[in-house]
Amino acid sequence: MKQSLIFRNAWLFVALIVLLAYPQFQKNQYYQHVMIMTMMAAVLSSSWNILGGYAGYTSLGHAAFFGLGGYLVALAHNRYGWHPFVSTWFLAIIVTGVALILGWISLRTQGSAFVVVTIAMVFIFRLLALNLSGITNGARGLTQPRPGWGDVPWSPEFIKVPFHYIMLVLLCLTVFVSWRIRQSKFGLGLIAIREDEGKAEAVGINTMLYKVLAFGFSAYFVGVAGGIYSYFFTYIDPQFIFDVFTGVTMVLIALLGGRGTLWGPVLGAFIMEPLGNWIIGEFGGTQIHLTVFGGILLGVMLFMPQGILPTITNVIQQRAKARAAQVQS
Amino acid sequence: MTMPSTHLLIQTIILGLLVGGVYALMSSGLTLIFGVMRVINVAHGAFLVLAAYLTYWIFQFTELDPIVSIVFTAPVLFLIGWGVQRYILSRLENPERSSVLVTFAFAITMEGLMGTFWKTTFRSVKPEYVNEVIKFATYRIPVTRLIGFGAALVVLLILYIILQRTNLGRAIRATIQDRSAAQLVGVNVQAVSALTFGIGIATAAVGGSLLSMIYPFNASSQTDWITRVLSIIVLGGMGSLPGAFIAAIILGVSEQLTAVVFRLYWSPIVFYVALFLILIFRPQGLMGETVREKA
Amino acid sequence: MLSVQNVSKAFGGIKAVDGGSLEVKKGTVTGLIGPNGSGKTTLFNIITGFYPPDSGEILFNNQPIQKLLPSQICHRGIGRTFQITRLFWKMTVLENMIVPVRHTGWRTLFSQGVKKIEEEHAMELLDMVGLTKFRDDEAQKMSFGQQKLLEFAAILMSDPELILLDEPAGGVNPVMIEKIMTLVDDLNRQGKTFLVVEHNMRLVMELCQHIVVLDHGQKIAEGEPAAIQNNPLVLEAYLGSEHHAGA
Repeated sequence: MKQSLIFRNAWLFVALIVLLAYPQFQKNQYYQHVMIMTMMAAVLSSSWNILGGYAGYTSLGHAAFFGLGGYLVALAHNRYGWHPFVSTWFLAIIVTGVALILGWISLRTQGSAFVVVTIAMVFIFRLLALNLSGITNGARGLTQPRPGWGDVPWSPEFIKVPFHYIMLVLLCLTVFVSWRIRQSKFGLGLIAIREDEGKAEAVGINTMLYKVLAFGFSAYFVGVAGGIYSYFFTYIDPQFIFDVFTGVTMVLIALLGGRGTLWGPVLGAFIMEPLGNWIIGEFGGTQIHLTVFGGILLGVMLFMPQGILPTITNVIQQRAKARAAQVQS
Repeated sequence: MTMPSTHLLIQTIILGLLVGGVYALMSSGLTLIFGVMRVINVAHGAFLVLAAYLTYWIFQFTELDPIVSIVFTAPVLFLIGWGVQRYILSRLENPERSSVLVTFAFAITMEGLMGTFWKTTFRSVKPEYVNEVIKFATYRIPVTRLIGFGAALVVLLILYIILQRTNLGRAIRATIQDRSAAQLVGVNVQAVSALTFGIGIATAAVGGSLLSMIYPFNASSQTDWITRVLSIIVLGGMGSLPGAFIAAIILGVSEQLTAVVFRLYWSPIVFYVALFLILIFRPQGLMGETVREKA
Repeated sequence: MLSVQNVSKAFGGIKAVDGGSLEVKKGTVTGLIGPNGSGKTTLFNIITGFYPPDSGEILFNNQPIQKLLPSQICHRGIGRTFQITRLFWKMTVLENMIVPVRHTGWRTLFSQGVKKIEEEHAMELLDMVGLTKFRDDEAQKMSFGQQKLLEFAAILMSDPELILLDEPAGGVNPVMIEKIMTLVDDLNRQGKTFLVVEHNMRLVMELCQHIVVLDHGQKIAEGEPAAIQNNPLVLEAYLGSEHHAGA
């Protein structure tokens, strides 16, 4: 029994080792970049999954927290000299606080209205960023100094490596917390809410509290990622960072991999992000990449609504049952 | 902040009402679709823009007035809408949950196609009266806005008549109130759904034609429009046509007032903030029902 | 124990409950009967917090509860089954048993999902209803009768003092009805109070010590089973005004 546990999780250790060693054997900047973005997509999607997958509340507004994290970190860096790799973890707590408040307001609406309200959130943040130019520099955006540590900027060959590792740490943290939530009473309650919210309420689950908490949790990691992102690109502006499309990609990735599962969002990210990069590379001049994304989303919704992971799990289970039935007869 | 004169205030409110009328038209289809099918058509903005592009296209080749080209765009969009519901949306197993993402997929698919075909330049339809202004008392009213408002009222009236006076309308209203009960008394809810979706998208066609001559647009404008329209129906109460109308007027007037009293770029935000504020006290919107769907 | 005082609730123009009142004494099995549309389930929904009453008060152990959330009402000690059985269909039987919560605190919230002691308690209850061997099966795979038993057993997890049963015998075979009746009787002897909405008159007459009759949202009669059986008002409500009570 013990052996099978290790065996089942062996792939995890292998994956971890590969990711740890990645920047050592992959020196091509472009591929380092794609890996960082892929891990970030996995973070965003897994984080979203806490609310959208476990509890079943589809938020299309998480880009608001992504951008907020980015702006807070950029501002703190420019004004107080706080290094993003340190500050983002704390500033994301502010993002979570904002999310708890917004969640409390928006989660009182019915399921369908909720999605709309989350979209409005992104727009409010974008407009605030555009208009409060005294703080945010408006449409011109905020730049940060070249990435480095202390007074020493990192060399161009090395520059992406620290980002790779911090993103890896964030990914591990996000997946770990998602896992712990899934195993806890809180997680069980969220799933109950997804299955039948009225029944969950009737058996003693304070659904509003659970949902708001899930909202908060799902915002934290997105906020941290946003902070790292703003440093990675050294530039953010309202149009760039408060984009509903970011939120939709989070959802698409979770759906593709398996919404509500632990590893689904991660799997989805490792498929979609490289694919997306390739598509934009090939067709970037036009808007056609939107159509491709739309097509994939539509395809997943119509033909594989559970996502890859649950579909594969079902197939394996069906085969196992068929074999068991055969053995018996 | 500059306190405007009374004259300017009234002028602004008039403009706001006109604009609100057009917003009302654009949202009516959306709230109707939700009422009948519990589907949030996130692609509504994309359909608006599609209609705008079609109107622009027709205008480019034939100089046909945008209002007249509704005769062409409305049936086309009706058919597209009907087809989408009949063949795609009706196959969803849990429309309430999945319609958002499916229609969002449509929206970005359409945005991609339109953007590829018509590029990213902002377009506008400029009929000969595009810059004309009517003077009413001492107030100046742009002709395009007036025509837009007029067309919006006409279509809303037609919609009202269909809903209240025809058998189809009765069937639609029954389905909105209670889908299962309607089925039990013999209403073909699948057909009603498909037809309603078609009608909803057809109203978007009219909205789009009006849009084309009032606001510059390109493929990515669809996101701005859908956000506005969705917020209107949430504010008004999803599924409520009167609610959408009132919310649209509120949006129109508050937008214009903010632009004049504060600064232009604050105006969109007023609406979203109002949305949030109202949702704090009335989560179901202005005229929505407190449906405890949980019970 | 439970006191419903002059509660009214209207939906649109229709008064589902119109000045309804009833008392449930601690330790009894009280029946709530009446023709369809008389407001029984609406009353249940109001008592358990799903609808706020338009007017009137509901007291549980002398505390007003009409403004509480359903989850809070559950924490106070009222459990409830639904007319159409509601379970977490894709969860296992065991998980369905574990979800109900009586006491929450921050520590419980983030603690392990299925604790040993809860698992044992759940297994005891599953044993009592005879569903032990289904513990890892999905709820949706069970038979109709088994699902009803599961719903019942699950709400017992939070150890409620008052249990509201909404048509526990609905659509269920006679053997299962006996089983349910025995369960209710046993639990009642152990001190639990029941308020039961039912159409199955045999169940009501045999199980209930006290019966309240509702019609058009109002109480039209109450008393012991024997009295209710012969009450002309009750018969009229069920059969319509052309029929009058025979001898």
